[in-house]
Amino acid sequence: MSKRSTAPIFWLLFGAGGMVAALIGPALILLTGVMAPFDLGVSFPDYGTLLAFARHPLGKLALLAVIALFLWHGAERACLTLRDMRVGPGWLLSWATYGIAGLGSLITLSLLLAIGF
Amino acid sequence: MSEYRPFHRPQRPFWWARAPYRGYSLRELSGVGVALYGAVLLAGLACLWRGPAAFASYRAWLATPGSLLLHLLLLAAMLLHMVTWFQTLPKTMPKLIIGGVAVPQRRITALGLATALLCCAALLGAAIGAAS
Amino acid sequence: MPDSAPASTDRTIELRVLRYRPELDGHPFFDHYTVAYSDDMSVLQGLQVIKDSLDSSLSYRWSCRMAVCGSCGMMINGAPRLACNSFLRDLAPGPVTVEPLENFPIERDLVVTVGDFVKKIEGIYPYLIPKTARRLEEGEYLQTPAELAAYESFSDCINCMLCYAACPQFGANPDFIGPGAMAILQRYNGDSRDGGQQQRLDRIHGEDGVWSCTAVGLCSDVCPKQVDPANAVNQNKTKSAFDFFLRFLKRETGQ
Repeated sequence: MSKRSTAPIFWLLFGAGGMVAALIGPALILLTGVMAPFDLGVSFPDYGTLLAFARHPLGKLALLAVIALFLWHGAERACLTLRDMRVGPGWLLSWATYGIAGLGSLITLSLLLAIGF
Repeated sequence: MSEYRPFHRPQRPFWWARAPYRGYSLRELSGVGVALYGAVLLAGLACLWRGPAAFASYRAWLATPGSLLLHLLLLAAMLLHMVTWFQTLPKTMPKLIIGGVAVPQRRITALGLATALLCCAALLGAAIGAAS
Repeated sequence: MPDSAPASTDRTIELRVLRYRPELDGHPFFDHYTVAYSDDMSVLQGLQVIKDSLDSSLSYRWSCRMAVCGSCGMMINGAPRLACNSFLRDLAPGPVTVEPLENFPIERDLVVTVGDFVKKIEGIYPYLIPKTARRLEEGEYLQTPAELAAYESFSDCINCMLCYAACPQFGANPDFIGPGAMAILQRYNGDSRDGGQQQRLDRIHGEDGVWSCTAVGLCSDVCPKQVDPANAVNQNKTKSAFDFFLRFLKRETGQ
C-alpha cells in the first residue's frame, strides 16, 4: 500500500469550513461588515449583549466553528495555491499555512475561554 | 533503430495565471478570502475580550470606508466561493442514482445553491427580526 | 479516403507542427506546412496529407479515425484534443499549432511516452475481482440499470490521456496516478459485481494517489467521452479520507 498522506485531516477541515462558508458566509459578511456598521436594517448589539453571546456555550461553539473553520479552509487553499505557484518547498508551505490556521484556532479558543462564562 | 532520447518539456511556471487555469486560481483565492474574513472576526473577538473601549474602536473601524471596501471585496470572494463550491461538490460524491438514472450534477449544484440562499435569507431575516 | 489533392479552388490552411527527431535534433522546433483542405477534413487527415505528400518523416499515432481508440491525442492550438475529432474548418483561417500532448516526454514528433500511464492502470487491478467465487452453474451476474449507471461513464474511457495533458498537478508531479487511471479504478470499484474495493482504495491513499489532485476539474472538461474523471478522483478523496479515520474501527472488528 502506498504511504498514506496526512492530507485527509486538512481536507476534512477544509471541507467543513468551505461548507459553512458557502451556506452562511455571504449573509455573515453582509451583516457584520455592511449592514450593522452603517445601521442598515440591523444595528450592532451593545457590548453587554455581545459579551453574553460570547459567554454562552452555544455562542462559543458558533464563534469557534466559524472562525477556526474559515481559517483552516483558507489555509488549505493558500497552501495548495502557493504550491501551484512554486513559491517554496511543499513542506514549508504546509507548515506556514497550517501553522497560521492552527495558531489562529488556538487564539480563538483561548479568547473564548478567557472571556469567561 | 534510431536513438531513444525522450525530450522533457518543463511545466510552464506561470501556468496558473494563463487560460484555462485562471478560473481555478481565482476560485482558490476566493477560499483565501474566507480565511481573511475569519481573521476579521477574530480581531473583533479579541477586541470584545479586551473590553468596551477596545470594542468601540473596532466598531468605529467597521464604519470606515476602508473597512467597507474590504468587506465588499470579501463579500465578492465569498459569493465566488459559494458558487464554485456547489459546482465542485457533486464531483466529491459517488453518482447519485435515483430511479435507475444518475442525477445530473447541475441539479445537485442547483440544490446546494438554493439551500445556501435559504440559509443566508434565514440568517438575515433572523437578524433583522431580532433588531426590530 | 478523401482526395489528398482537392480542386484548385479549395482553401488552404497552415499547420505549425512541433518536430523532434532525437537522432537529428537537439531539441524540438516548429515546421510549417500548407495543406489544401475541404470541409470534412480533420486535423488528423491534415497530418496524413503532410505525411503522404509533403514530409514523410512526420510521426504521429492514429488508428480508428473516429474517436474510439484514443491514439491521436495531441495539443491543437494549445488545447488537448483528439486529432480525428478536430476539424480544419473550425480552425480556419489558421495557422493551426499542433504539438504532442502536454506533460508527457516527447519520443518523436507528435509521439509521447505512454509507458508510465500503462503502469498506473496495471497497478490498480483493472479487472473484476469477484466478491465470492462463482460456479458456472450459478449463471451470469445480473445487473440492474441503476447498478450500471453507477459506473457506466467510467467504463467509456478510451485511454487517450487528454485528461493527463490538461491536469496541471500531473504536470507538476508525473508520479500522480492521474485522472485516467482513477476513472478506470472507479469503473471497477463502482461495479456491483466487484469485491476488490478495499484493495484498490489501498493503492491511492498516498500523495501520488488521489491527494495530488486539487480539483481543477479540467480533466473532465477535455474528456472526449464524458467519462468525468474528476468525479472518479474526488469521490475517492472522500473515501480515502473516511478510510483514514475509520480504519482503526475496521481493525477492531477484525477485518
